[in-house]
This record gives sequence, C-alpha cells and structure tokens, in this order.
Amino acid sequence: MVGIVLVSHSPELAGGLAELARQMAGPDVTIEVAGGGPDGRLGTDGDRVRDAIRHADTGEGVVVLGDIGSAFLTIRHVLERMNGRVRLVDAPFVEGTVSAAVVASAGSGLDDVAKAAEDARGANKL
Amino acid sequence: MPTSSETLAKLPADVDLRARPAADFVRAAMGFDAEIVIAHGDREADAKSLLAVLALGARRGATLRLRADGDDASVAVDALASRIATLQEL
Repeated sequence: MVGIVLVSHSPELAGGLAELARQMAGPDVTIEVAGGGPDGRLGTDGDRVRDAIRHADTGEGVVVLGDIGSAFLTIRHVLERMNGRVRLVDAPFVEGTVSAAVVASAGSGLDDVAKAAEDARGANKL
Repeated sequence: MPTSSETLAKLPADVDLRARPAADFVRAAMGFDAEIVIAHGDREADAKSLLAVLALGARRGATLRLRADGDDASVAVDALASRIATLQEL
C-alpha cells in the first residue's frame, strides 16, 4: 500500500491529523509524521522527514504532505538526496491527507493517491 | 455495452454519513468500475470522492439515491445500497 507522510511545524498538528486519517482509512495504511523542529520548537526537521519517509515506504511509494511554507523547503531538501518513489503533493493539509489516506486504503497506486490529495484543493465543504 | 442503474438506500438510524462511515462507503464504491453518483436531497456527489461525499451532510436515517453508469452498474448499486444500510459509526 502507498504510505503517507505528514510534515508539520507542530507535532500536535501532525499527530492529530494522523489520528483522524487513521480513523477514516483504517489500520492498513501507514501514516508517519514528522512534526516540529530539531530543537523541539515549532519548525521542521529534515532528519525527521527522512526517517518518516523511510518508515512509510512499504514498497509501493510514499505521498508527502506539508502544512505551510518552509515545510516544503525542508521536504524538497530531503527529497533531493533520496531515491525511491516519493511524491510531494501541493494539497490542503487536512483534506488532502484524509482523501489520500482513504484512497490508499482502497489499494490504489501512487498516482491515484497523489491525485486524490491534490484534487482536495477544489472540494467544497458546504 | 454500458448500463445504467439506480436505487434508493437508507442510512441506519444511528449513523451519519461522516468520517469513518463515509470513508467505508467511498472505499466500497472505489471497488467498482462504474461511474457512481450518490445524492441527498438536491445535492449530488461522486461516490468515489471522500470530500464530496462528506459535503453531502447526510444525517442518520436519511434516504440517499444511488445511480451508476457502466458495465458493473447494477452490481454496484445493489452492493452499495446494502453497504449504506449496514454502515456503523465504529
């Protein structure tokens, strides 16, 4: 199954979102988090991102979502030095994550899971 | 030859079409090739889109309409109607 990595400036934000997505997608999808900076404050940490991607990859690829701004700089920096089927998506953090997780849980491939996350940008809530 | 099929389905009296139940329904819908629309009142959603299904805001006991187009349309609406009727909160 495609794995999912959540990168957030806040460990609590990433953890809470992972909890929500796991509840909706069920136990079969691997959702890893990389939250907070190296000093434990709000921020992002390349080492945590790299570890999360490695843990999330069960062979069928990984979709990575970030919360805001500099998270994407950190992720890109890590991806430049990583091999493997890893896809960074431009998607709303919450909606993209739950969509991707549920599509992954249905056994879909990397392209479909990434598309589910990015399509979330156009979804209405009301 | 593509076929079209429709049916009605009713949510259980204690289950809203939210979070986990919505995900369970969408996952079931993704198992079919047919294009499937789920409708609640005057709102329609792609049955394979979690966010669209959540935005229907269907509450417990609501009657939903299912319409499918494709080779497995008939099997799809039958299976999804019974899935809706047996959704659980947990």
